[in-house]
Amino acid sequence: MSGGEGSGRLLVAGAAVLAVALVAAYLAFGGGAYEPTPVVDPCAPREWRSPDGIEESAQQFALSALDGAACELGVSRETLAPALATEGSRAEFAAELGISDAELETAVRAGLLRGIDDAAEAGAISPLVAEGLGAVASRLPVDESIAVISDAGEFLAGAEGAIGDVGDLLDDAAGLLP
Amino acid sequence: MSDRATRAALAAAVGLVLADSSVVVLALPDIYRELDVSVAAVTWVLVSFNLVLALAAVPAAFASAVVGPARLTVAGLVVFALASLACGLADSIGVLLVARCAQALGGAAAICAALELLPSVVGSERRAATAWAAAGAAGAALGPGIGGLMTELISWQSIFLAQVPATLALALALLPGAAREGRTRSPLDQRSLRPHLAANVALALVSAALAAALFLVVLLLIEGWRLTPIAAAAAVTVMPICALLAAAPARRVRSVAARAAAGVILIAGGLAALGLLPRAEVALTFPPQALIGAGLALTLSALTEAALAGRSPQALHGGWTIAARHAGVVAGLLVLTPVFTADLETERERAQLAGTAALLDASIPPGAQLELANRIAERIEQEGDKVPILGPAFEPLPADPAERAATAALRTEIEDEVDRAATHAFSGSFLIAAAFALAALIPIALARRRIAL
Repeated sequence: MSGGEGSGRLLVAGAAVLAVALVAAYLAFGGGAYEPTPVVDPCAPREWRSPDGIEESAQQFALSALDGAACELGVSRETLAPALATEGSRAEFAAELGISDAELETAVRAGLLRGIDDAAEAGAISPLVAEGLGAVASRLPVDESIAVISDAGEFLAGAEGAIGDVGDLLDDAAGLLP
Repeated sequence: MSDRATRAALAAAVGLVLADSSVVVLALPDIYRELDVSVAAVTWVLVSFNLVLALAAVPAAFASAVVGPARLTVAGLVVFALASLACGLADSIGVLLVARCAQALGGAAAICAALELLPSVVGSERRAATAWAAAGAAGAALGPGIGGLMTELISWQSIFLAQVPATLALALALLPGAAREGRTRSPLDQRSLRPHLAANVALALVSAALAAALFLVVLLLIEGWRLTPIAAAAAVTVMPICALLAAAPARRVRSVAARAAAGVILIAGGLAALGLLPRAEVALTFPPQALIGAGLALTLSALTEAALAGRSPQALHGGWTIAARHAGVVAGLLVLTPVFTADLETERERAQLAGTAALLDASIPPGAQLELANRIAERIEQEGDKVPILGPAFEPLPADPAERAATAALRTEIEDEVDRAATHAFSGSFLIAAAFALAALIPIALARRRIAL
């Protein structure tokens, strides 16, 4: 009986050692420490990565504008970006958030203004151009404002695309200037 | 027919029936797509079988006492074969579920009655209980692998259709014994009808944990990490291999309580490790699977032996163990399915946000960035509720070397994010399952104090 009990105790102890060792090893290698890549607060200032080239500036401008709009709406930039992709996704997003068209318009304009301010601060555009762009952005219809942020394929890719939109904005701004 | 052949036929019948409680796990995605049903409905292909088996086991044992175990074994196998045929030919979820219930009814009759027949061919009730429990454990452990293999190589229907000739052959082999069986109704002593409560409660808890081990590992591999059924089937063979390797040495330890407790600890450790996987890597599931396989061999046979020891009729107490085990499986599935489904949805959303963050911050040209964002969004939309395979969204890689390298790095980062999220989505369920297994230590400890377990 004692022999049986001895081997039984040994078996239980061995099982416990194996189980604890495996769990400890997995914990030591990072098991259970999973955290998704954090989503940054859109209201916090973000440093521009490379404000020198036109493409990089355009990209940073779009991202800053997204940050600004997202901050205004109290959501993340990552949530807002796909929501602005199509009219349908915009409507779905607005319904989910319980906001009106006017509120969305205000937020998008706020985003554009933040993009312009960030661009000026990073030295990507001159303060004079920034002032002009700000004046234009505050009067842009909502669809065009959203297009500047969401239609970034054109916005960022070159003269015919979103850069063209920036170009248009610059042209418009130039037209407004004396 | 020799005793050896009868023993083999009875063990095969028990293994075949109990394999059916898990054999369709790897086929569920195919059934879900082909029969165009919801995820909740397809889960009932598993739940219905286990539920009916749990409910029918004890009545089947009473029936065995009335009609004779040999006759009931053969009748049960024939019903099981016909129901398997209906499963294989089912063209709607309703027909499939009804056929699965019929399979479980036939199966319950066959396995409970088989236990009553085994002592006469193996020499003692203890050896019969050991053989019966081992056959059941082997069937349950091998089920997912065999099912996955057949689904991948042929179709999900082939799992059921292949069982028809196999089951009928076993019924034919046992038919002479049934024909010779006298029609005697053995009176049942009311005092002997009470089940071994502690052993059966422990069996139920361990089975709930094992359901998670088999069901969730397979889901993690296929739905989480997007392995093919055949690759998943190969990956989960670690569990039955370790169960078979551990079975013989385990029997050398005389203390049933020690075997049961050690098994439960190994299962809990393995499940906890699965809940704490450091990375989404198939090889990392092998050590936990090895512990669970060894634990399964130790604890199921020990608890079944304890539940049957000195109790008569064997079929009835075997019926109680089947009822406890499959009630545990059903409880495990019903408790854990909503947990991991909700966790999967949460992690999917978090991964989507993290992936978008990585994409927006990537050093790739803005045009390509946004085109990629659209392609990724399309893939996520196409995959619906599933964990998306995002690799194709990055094809073809850009020609420019710098852009190509940056895009490839982004692809790795986003795929890694999705894999980690999918892995983490299963963590909570595995840890709950580990708690089920550990909870089984309570009835084991209580039983050890009061009576010899």
